[in-house]
Amino acid sequence: MNKTVIRMLLVLTSVGVISGGALSGVYKAAFPRIERHRLEELKRAIFVVLPDAKNYKTLEKNELKVYQGIDETGNPVGIAFEAKGNGFQGKISMMVGIDNQFEKLTGMLVLDQIETPGLGAKIAKDKFQSQFKGLSISPEITYVKNKKPEKPNEIQAITAATISSKAVVKILNRQIKEITETFKLN
Amino acid sequence: MDILVIFIAAAIVNNFVLTYFLGICPFIGVSKRVDHAFSLGIATTFVMTMTAIITWLINHFILIKFNLPFLEYVSFIIVIASLVQLVEMFIRKVNPFLYRTLGIFLPLITTNCAVLGLALFAVLRDYSFIGTVVFGLGAGLGFTLAIVIMAGIREELDMADVPLPLQGAGITLITAGLLALSFMGFAGLITA
Amino acid sequence: MAEDTNRSLYYEFVKGLWEENPIFRMLLGMCPTLAVTNSAVNGLAMGLATTFVLTCSSVMVSLVRKIVPSQVRLATFIVIIATFVTIADYFLKAFFPPISKQLGPYVPLIVVNCVILGRAEAFSSKNPISLSVADASGIGIGFTLALVSLGIVREILGNGSIFNISIFGEWFEPWIVMLLPAGAFITLGIMIGIINAFTIKKTGKGVCFGCSIGYKLQEKLVTAESMYLTPEELEAAKAKPEKKEKKKKEG
Repeated sequence: MNKTVIRMLLVLTSVGVISGGALSGVYKAAFPRIERHRLEELKRAIFVVLPDAKNYKTLEKNELKVYQGIDETGNPVGIAFEAKGNGFQGKISMMVGIDNQFEKLTGMLVLDQIETPGLGAKIAKDKFQSQFKGLSISPEITYVKNKKPEKPNEIQAITAATISSKAVVKILNRQIKEITETFKLN
Repeated sequence: MDILVIFIAAAIVNNFVLTYFLGICPFIGVSKRVDHAFSLGIATTFVMTMTAIITWLINHFILIKFNLPFLEYVSFIIVIASLVQLVEMFIRKVNPFLYRTLGIFLPLITTNCAVLGLALFAVLRDYSFIGTVVFGLGAGLGFTLAIVIMAGIREELDMADVPLPLQGAGITLITAGLLALSFMGFAGLITA
Repeated sequence: MAEDTNRSLYYEFVKGLWEENPIFRMLLGMCPTLAVTNSAVNGLAMGLATTFVLTCSSVMVSLVRKIVPSQVRLATFIVIIATFVTIADYFLKAFFPPISKQLGPYVPLIVVNCVILGRAEAFSSKNPISLSVADASGIGIGFTLALVSLGIVREILGNGSIFNISIFGEWFEPWIVMLLPAGAFITLGIMIGIINAFTIKKTGKGVCFGCSIGYKLQEKLVTAESMYLTPEELEAAKAKPEKKEKKKKEG
């Protein structure tokens, strides 16, 4: 009886130790690569939303993190930041670019979303994303349904996916406000 | 307010079974009697809520604190397996009558993907402690709702004249599809 | 003797492809099947990841099968499986980040895929390594084939493409429902129906039969089947294994 218990404990402990050891090895080996992918993606996204930028530097203030784009001569061309929030099905995260004067967006790129395929997932398509390029943010972004946007601060919501479109607009407005308040005075 | 949103989203709008396909095994295989389905659902809800609590504690006080993200899956599944075992022992000791009705379903819960899925989703969505607990409870009740509805439909299905090749799994899956379609009506009720 | 092993190696491999195909025949591992098959590529990636985990853990389980006491067998198996799943997850994250993103939390959910624990318990814990590998890779490839075929059907109808290559052109109005959960259920239901119609044998009735904690359930005689029994019938069925246990104790 006692023998079995000891054997059980022995087997379980050694299985646990071996598995833990193997996994920490795998993690150590994989982590730099995963981190590199993440950074590459971040960089790519920043250059997409700030088309004029050739390089960027990270700014931090009040626990907010933004990436300031810089052109060849070292002049700032705008600020890119990550906007996250809840969509229709789950988290949506986007990279957003905004110009130096905090008046217009220079671009938007959806990084992560799990909206309904074929409907809400269209927020990650160029047709929707390109609407944000040059979009005015004063007083705030609004959306229209089933017709062409008329005002400079309007975008057209995706047909049959108004909720996802609305979520994007809501997330953007909230974060833009926050970023503007924190960084505009600089 | 947020808590209510998490609850309703987990239970109805993003029902685990019908939108994430978690917990399909018991959904298709077990539920043919409403009372059994209900017992299984409640037992699962209990395990899910407990799992949510314990995995949150483990994640925050062990995995994140000591930077051990690679042990996430291993530790979570161990928690679930031992939790099911404990619940089983506990119920057997405290209430033998309940054990007789519920106990037989308990082992099935370990490999219910809904339980592990819940723990993983909670980490992924970065819920607070209370949020995680409510998420567990909501998801569990949503699971119960889905399997009870399914059991009810299958009781009726026994009378129906189903083509032979579709009998069993085929018609069950198609029914589930229609159910998923009707649950889409809740979409937009609330944004998660 | 050698010939015999070869033949059974072949048999153990081939049976997983069709005869005991985990999805179409045994109805196991439904959750990833339905969740990730909205495109053929996703199905393929998921299938291969599952095959990797299945084969590796079969080797390990078969290796340790004589050392591990039966009481902690399942715990050991689960830890082994979870370890390989974590490895697969990091591998995908490091080398195929877009696919890893697409599959999301369904990669870690391979841990609770009934097929894997089912094979560990039913096959590799009782057989030598060579047979276990044949069995696991056969089942794994059968699983992959099923996922890919389901993915192809859903992708053609829901997106008008195969492996992301558009085949219909602009005029095709995609059936979005095929990409939604409802489409997944209905497609699989119809496919199983069609397969049943062409073969005489019927698909297993009890879904979790022989899978998951199969052994634990069988010990208590609680299989999916027994959920259909009345409590009285269940009691009668339960009485039998108790006798067996008594015998064991006496022995």
